[in-house]
Amino acid sequence: MISDPEKQGAAMKAAGGIEDAVRGFLREALKSSAADAVLVPVRTPAEDSYAWILTNDPSVLDNARPAAPTMPVQGAKALKSLTRKGEGKAGIIAVMRPCEIRAAIELYKLNQVHLDNITLISYDCVGAVPLQDYISDPAGSEKRFDSMLKAGKTDDSAVKPVCRICVDFSLVDSDIHIGLIGQSGGSALLVPNSEKGQALLESMGMACGEDISGWTKTVAQMKVEREGARARALAEMGTRLQGFDGLSATFADCIGCHNCQSVCPICYCRQCYFDSDASRQDAASILDTAIERGGVAFPGNRVMFHTGRMAHMSLSCVSCGQCSDACPVSIPVADIFSYMAGLTQPTFEYTAGRNDGEPLPLRHFKEKEVEKVHEIVKGAEEEEVAHE
Amino acid sequence: MSRVRIDMSSSEGAVAFLKHLLGSGKVSAILTMRKNPGTGAYDIGLIADEAGLDNAAPVAPVMVANTGRVLSSLTPAVKPLAVMLKPCELRAFVERVKRDQGSFENLLIISYTCGGVFPLDEAIGEHFQDSIPDYFRRVASGEIVEGVRETCKACEHFVPTCADVTISIAGDRDSTSGCSIYLNTDRAREMAEGLEGKQSDDEFDPAVTAELAVKRTAEKKKVFDSLAPAGDGLDGLIEIFGKCVGCHGCGHVCPICYCVLCDFESHSFDYNLPYFEKELSEKGSLRLPPDTIFFHLGRMTHMSFSCVGCGLCSDVCPVDIPVANIFKKVGEHTASLFDYVAGRDLEEEIPVMVFKEEEFNELG
Repeated sequence: MISDPEKQGAAMKAAGGIEDAVRGFLREALKSSAADAVLVPVRTPAEDSYAWILTNDPSVLDNARPAAPTMPVQGAKALKSLTRKGEGKAGIIAVMRPCEIRAAIELYKLNQVHLDNITLISYDCVGAVPLQDYISDPAGSEKRFDSMLKAGKTDDSAVKPVCRICVDFSLVDSDIHIGLIGQSGGSALLVPNSEKGQALLESMGMACGEDISGWTKTVAQMKVEREGARARALAEMGTRLQGFDGLSATFADCIGCHNCQSVCPICYCRQCYFDSDASRQDAASILDTAIERGGVAFPGNRVMFHTGRMAHMSLSCVSCGQCSDACPVSIPVADIFSYMAGLTQPTFEYTAGRNDGEPLPLRHFKEKEVEKVHEIVKGAEEEEVAHE
Repeated sequence: MSRVRIDMSSSEGAVAFLKHLLGSGKVSAILTMRKNPGTGAYDIGLIADEAGLDNAAPVAPVMVANTGRVLSSLTPAVKPLAVMLKPCELRAFVERVKRDQGSFENLLIISYTCGGVFPLDEAIGEHFQDSIPDYFRRVASGEIVEGVRETCKACEHFVPTCADVTISIAGDRDSTSGCSIYLNTDRAREMAEGLEGKQSDDEFDPAVTAELAVKRTAEKKKVFDSLAPAGDGLDGLIEIFGKCVGCHGCGHVCPICYCVLCDFESHSFDYNLPYFEKELSEKGSLRLPPDTIFFHLGRMTHMSFSCVGCGLCSDVCPVDIPVANIFKKVGEHTASLFDYVAGRDLEEEIPVMVFKEEEFNELG
């Protein structure tokens, strides 16, 4: 489903704002039976957050915010709870942020999500308000987010740090994408991005004859700017993480709650190895270690847990920032993991969630791969021989 | 001898006592909160080297993990250990031992009358250290210190009940001029032999804490009353738990939730799509992931009568749900039906583990 620059889109009138237009589109999809149900964020009754609601009732959509200001639960996790055990008959439209769709694609490859009956709709994302900011000031956060959405422009001071350096904020491997960036206020573009998406738009009588090259160009320009910002931020993080001392200082305040892992859309293990009996030491050997080294710290294995989790999931990390949102001691987990993903994914010429046809690097055996490693090993061997 | 008074602050006196225990070889190691020697951050250390005790912060108003939970992993202890526990941590450990998650064998339990701790996100702040001296002055005068966690302000169980040693701090005006270490058991007296300080036969007098206890009870009522949602039944629950993100951090840090895998994270809470389709056709709308409120009610059913109100669940909640106060309120209510107080006494049996032929006859 990789994007084709020659493709065309359908114009969607959005005089009452983009979200109003999307609500109208979803209502129409339900009414015309183009979809049996939709999955969208809806504001909680106490108006203090958002929840994913699956509904077949068009009136429920009145309270939906397809582009919710904050991301309390990663959309891919909602989708996983719905489809983990396989397919049903209902056709479902899910409207999600690009990073949520990318996570869904990764989970699909990991057999945690089924997508046959799901139509994924993405949109140009201006970023998400950090969860703590939203919770402490919902009204102010709504206001700040609304003005960002209206302008189609990210306000760095209002969004999560990983959103500021996100380069996948637009078209991803969805079925339909909603283009907002650079559109004149009164309209948006509906861009079909798969046969399924094309068919849905057709069934709703939406003609795709609109030239999208202007939007494509604007998005590409923004991407270039973001790539610069991302490179700078990652270089800074690289310096901070140098050596074991760097890692140890970075994770010093970690209390071992594993919230980062619990909210991570990629960490799909029912029980993390680090929470299992296998990672536990018996009482006598802990005491032996304390006597040998002078002391043992609890919660233990701080750096081990984070680097272990990194080794397991950084190839699929979509930099959604949920881990940072959930950390009770404000460790910039997402920035750290995004930095690592920026190193591991290019090594395999892989981008998490880019394409559902791209195999997971660690589950796909290639005879010739990461040749650099061979050179490094060979170099080390030669050095050893010379040394002898 | 039942009391040793050391001419130092409570914190320094506690460290001196720990150094005595380790230095004299009476224990092999000490479990206490400390400043990590590498990073300077608070953590819990199992310290086997006397020099390591220079970093000990045995009574600092901070909780990074429930030490009662950590202690489980060190028991049964093959060699004698001394353990510093806040009263709620000790109660948690008692509850864990009742569930075969730990053992008192070879442990010297040291606790203290607790003035409460600050919220975790404040305790990791840069200037936190500066506020500690003032905290101890206020605690000694029997104040409820502004800024400590709500759950601590409302805690009535700040005097330890099953400790070998009690250090008198909260409500004890004399704690600003010296550190009073009460030796409650023979083992404690034996271990304290040779400890430098003024010895006497004074025993811990709970009257010292009576004034503070009254204040705490009044505060508890205030906190509990503030939890009443506007709506009844399910509406009220949605009001409180509606913003829950389902991270289960509350369960993961809870010292009572000892299951290796929570039932709510197991296969028994996976549903297939036809199930959702049926729900959808009946109700029109569903929240995903499902069972948000069910999780909290289920956890409450499983552990609330053993809840010790340690407050960690609130500390780790990413959306500031007052989980600890809710569980404490519900827990005290359920426990009172059985005249049970969580962690008060090792001999008191967990209500749901005891079969009584005659019980709740009014239920029919």
